[in-house]
Amino acid sequence: MEPIDARRILEEERARGRELVGAAASLEALEDAKVAVLGRKSRVAEVQRSLATLPNEDRREIGRLTNETFAELREVVERRRQELESGSDAALLEADAVDVTLPGRRPRTGSLHPLTLVEDRIVEIFTRLGYRVVEGPEIEDDWHNFEALNIPPDHPARTMKDSLYVDIPGMLLRTETSAVQVRTMESQDPPVFVVAPGRTYRREAVDATHLSVFHQVEGLAVDEGISFADLKGTLEAFAREMFGERVRVRLNPDYFPFVEPGCQVAVSCFLCDGAGCRVCGNGWLELLGAGMVHPKVLENCGYDSERYTGFAFGMGIERVAMVRYGVNDMRLFVEGDARFLEQFEGAA
Amino acid sequence: MKIPVSWLRELCPTDLSAEDLAELLTHKGAEVEAIERPGAGLAGVIVARVVEVRDHPNSDNLCVARVQTGSGEQEVVVGVRNMGPGDLVPLAPPGSRIPLLAEPLGAREIRGVVSNGMLCAPDELGISPSHEGILVLPSGPEPGTDVATLYGLGDAVLDIEVTPNRPDFLSVLGIAREVSAATGTPLVPPDVGVDEADEPADGVATLEVHDLERCPRYVARLLRGVRHTSSPIPVQARLTAAGMRPISAAVDATNYAMLEIGQPLHPFDLPLLKGPGIVVRRALDGEAMMTLDDLERTFTTDDLLICDLERPVGVAGVMGGELAEISEITTDVLLEAASFQREGIQRTRRRLGLSTEASMRFERGVDPEAAPVGADRACRLMTEWCGARVLRGRIEVGGAPDRRRIRMRTSRAAAVIGYPVSVSEAADVFDRLGLAHEAEDGDTIRVEIPGYRVDLEREVDLIEEVVRVQGYERVGSTLPAIRQPGGVPDRYAFAGRVRRAMVGAGLREIRQVPFVSDRDLALAGGAPAVRVSNPLQADEGWLRTGLLPGVLAAVKRNSYRHVRSIALFEAGTVFGLVDGAARESLAAAFAVSGLAEAGWAQPQRGVDVFDAKGVVQAVLSELGIDWSTGPPPGPPFHPGRSASILADGERLGAFGEVHPKVAAAFDLGGRVAAGELDVEALQRRSSSITVVREPPRFPPVRRDLAFTVDAATPAGAVRDALVEAGGDLVDACLLFDVHVGPPLPADTKSLAFSVDFRAGDRTLTDGEVTEAVNALADRLERDLGATLRSSERGGSARR
Repeated sequence: MEPIDARRILEEERARGRELVGAAASLEALEDAKVAVLGRKSRVAEVQRSLATLPNEDRREIGRLTNETFAELREVVERRRQELESGSDAALLEADAVDVTLPGRRPRTGSLHPLTLVEDRIVEIFTRLGYRVVEGPEIEDDWHNFEALNIPPDHPARTMKDSLYVDIPGMLLRTETSAVQVRTMESQDPPVFVVAPGRTYRREAVDATHLSVFHQVEGLAVDEGISFADLKGTLEAFAREMFGERVRVRLNPDYFPFVEPGCQVAVSCFLCDGAGCRVCGNGWLELLGAGMVHPKVLENCGYDSERYTGFAFGMGIERVAMVRYGVNDMRLFVEGDARFLEQFEGAA
Repeated sequence: MKIPVSWLRELCPTDLSAEDLAELLTHKGAEVEAIERPGAGLAGVIVARVVEVRDHPNSDNLCVARVQTGSGEQEVVVGVRNMGPGDLVPLAPPGSRIPLLAEPLGAREIRGVVSNGMLCAPDELGISPSHEGILVLPSGPEPGTDVATLYGLGDAVLDIEVTPNRPDFLSVLGIAREVSAATGTPLVPPDVGVDEADEPADGVATLEVHDLERCPRYVARLLRGVRHTSSPIPVQARLTAAGMRPISAAVDATNYAMLEIGQPLHPFDLPLLKGPGIVVRRALDGEAMMTLDDLERTFTTDDLLICDLERPVGVAGVMGGELAEISEITTDVLLEAASFQREGIQRTRRRLGLSTEASMRFERGVDPEAAPVGADRACRLMTEWCGARVLRGRIEVGGAPDRRRIRMRTSRAAAVIGYPVSVSEAADVFDRLGLAHEAEDGDTIRVEIPGYRVDLEREVDLIEEVVRVQGYERVGSTLPAIRQPGGVPDRYAFAGRVRRAMVGAGLREIRQVPFVSDRDLALAGGAPAVRVSNPLQADEGWLRTGLLPGVLAAVKRNSYRHVRSIALFEAGTVFGLVDGAARESLAAAFAVSGLAEAGWAQPQRGVDVFDAKGVVQAVLSELGIDWSTGPPPGPPFHPGRSASILADGERLGAFGEVHPKVAAAFDLGGRVAAGELDVEALQRRSSSITVVREPPRFPPVRRDLAFTVDAATPAGAVRDALVEAGGDLVDACLLFDVHVGPPLPADTKSLAFSVDFRAGDRTLTDGEVTEAVNALADRLERDLGATLRSSERGGSARR
């Protein structure tokens, strides 16, 4: 082979190789094309084999050209192979496609009751402030439910909440979690900082804003130097945690036999910021009753009422939940309606 | 307590609007629940003079009145005929409005005669509930005068919620005192001046009180020449607005004085009293009397009666009797103003089931100083309204106790309310309240407590007055220094873990009222229960001993509402009765009903016992409890599809399908999967701390082993035996197939396990695994009669 022929062949094979490889429509066709342009019987291989016969002055240059041609064609084949392969993947995956708007396979999901969510939140806030949770029995005696709380037998306050009695002499279903106050003070010395969540009972007609069986969280703080201002500050801290930073707290005088001074506590509506709206009416949401522990109650529990002062509060969990979730009928909390409860999946 | 604002302004002349008064009183502890305006719908009703009344040409019952209004004459068709020519009557002409009608009146033809509006009865103007005839007005006003303006019918009424500690708020005067304290406007007390006649009361009637503890004070005033008439229209309107019914001027005077001053009063017809005289004594056991509401009442020796010299004529502090009731022909009256012990009145009221304006005031506490004041006020009104003569002097037994004097240390006040209070500031508060006081030293002030403030008993009560009058908005905001970490007791925390575990198992939490019926009690096992003495509903008279009946009832309600897939639980208190005492404990229960799987991706299927077991497995695993199944628990579960939950022999609960009869009783179709857990037993068994073992470093050798066993052999027993026989080498064991039927012999089944063999220190050889398989197959064959199927046994078992 003459050097001039070798150069021409290499030149032609570069062009023909690109053409053949580019025309290969499948991986099989590409394999054939690869054998034709790069195989042992290919014309480039023929040139390679003839290198030894070339004159010295040309051998070096044509050898280099041959290697370049091989490298270039290999690259062309490799690129084409990738093109063909990815094309066939796409086709396969396309055939595998599904309608992703169909519902997913989802495990059955549960939900906590809104009253549990609210109770947990209240307890969390107060335990962070340093309060301990205490519990007491739902079937109480007259002493803890009434007498010790400054409600003697003929006291008019007993008619405020007509009670449910049980067929065990002297026992009734507690009308307030305040009974736990007394049990706590009877069992420990001050300082006392506790919250007592629990179920309470009254003989009362059930309607959208009243249940005969409902839940409360009682709070009690007794120590030297506890003042009405501490009560206000504590309830403000609670309200901000529960309903948001902008919420304000308002105290109005109210009467409960076991506190003095006593107050009704309202928070500014967190929906309208106190401007007045459909939920709150006048900008305020009444939330709970509170006050300074009556000295008689401290004395009934064996505490020195000159040395110690304290505050107590009692909030209805249903009431807080109504405010927090915008529930307008309390009866929904006891009906066990899954369509109501399912809305609390993932709620806090 | 309903307080007409015009009346309040009479006793405390303030310019404040009804709205401002409502807010002010609410801030001072007399919560105004509503502002009512009974005359809001009244407009354009005028005074008219009747000129002529003639028969309606086309009706026997109707008549036609021609009236003169100042601007001419009009004809009105009327249904009654109690008015005559010359009478003044209220006319609602076309275009006017009355509260009972939504639309303004128009001219309307009634049986051929055009009626230009209507003449009004008292109820149509909100003056009284009476609808017996057209209201004939007293002479005086000119025809054409606006009726609402003339009689003050547009008055606003404050509806005040009175707390039990402030019985003084059950009077216009009490509320006026509070407005005066808050605004500084001086109080104008009601006029109680009485022009007495020469005739002395003493000697006309006698008075004896046999129980001075129950009746510490009795004041009687005598009146003669009481004319039967109506009280003035504005008075009737005020009584109606305050919730009382106008009756006659004499009776209205006693009610008006009671509402104004707070002292209940009772008028007796003097000549009807035997003696005449009054004896206050306890009832004889079984003694009876007709009360004013026409009911015969029977008494006990604990009831206090007002009697004449022969028989009872009233129930002290509650209601009068018929025998000496005043009537249209009454001319002479004995007016009672007394103090009764509040506990006694409360007991009698409860026994009789009879609550009146008087008993309501007495059982909360009436000012013992108010008896003569109330009596004099009513006497004055009867003089004005009925032309009565008041006999000279009062007949009186007992008296008011001495006033209490209470010390308040301003230093103590500051400590309780959290801001400094000086003696002069405290003095200012008590001045505003109208309480006499004197400073004892630089710290202490002594306050004299008038009879109407029954709530002021000790120092802290005065401290409350200081902060209440100064305003709660003055109280600062601080946090107490708490030197303890917060926390929750284990039992409370564990109940929370159980709830979360049940939610994790796909259940929704419910909270139920814990009262149950006899049937529910039987379903829950019939254990001794606590009975509610006065239940809200007669058929739910027990406290629940278990939670499952309530959960099933909730499932039923949801199925009625077409909820497809129901999965509910409750965790809460259950109540037992042990040796006559209540025992409260924590329990949890769940129920799953309807479709377990639904949707396009899997075949639809209903729930069964394995859905219940799956919940138990998930929950107990979450709580870190090892357990096993035990014998069927019995009702309310299906005997062949249920098991108890055991841990070292202790029963933790039960699960299974609900017995078909129970499901039917709750109207539930299909199978219902349910379970019950004893939360306190779970807590004893639970561990929250896990000691980890290293993940295995060598691969397992997995063999599928199918055993043929007798159909009655429990799968659990086979699995347990397999794991035990395999010893340390069996690392995991999954039951993946249960087969019954050909080619197996009858009464047998095949259980296929996928078993992972693994050693902690090396990769097991084929030979070692085969040896282990042979060993456990031998063991199962020996212990359970199980045969290893296929060619698993021997050296060729490699898959």
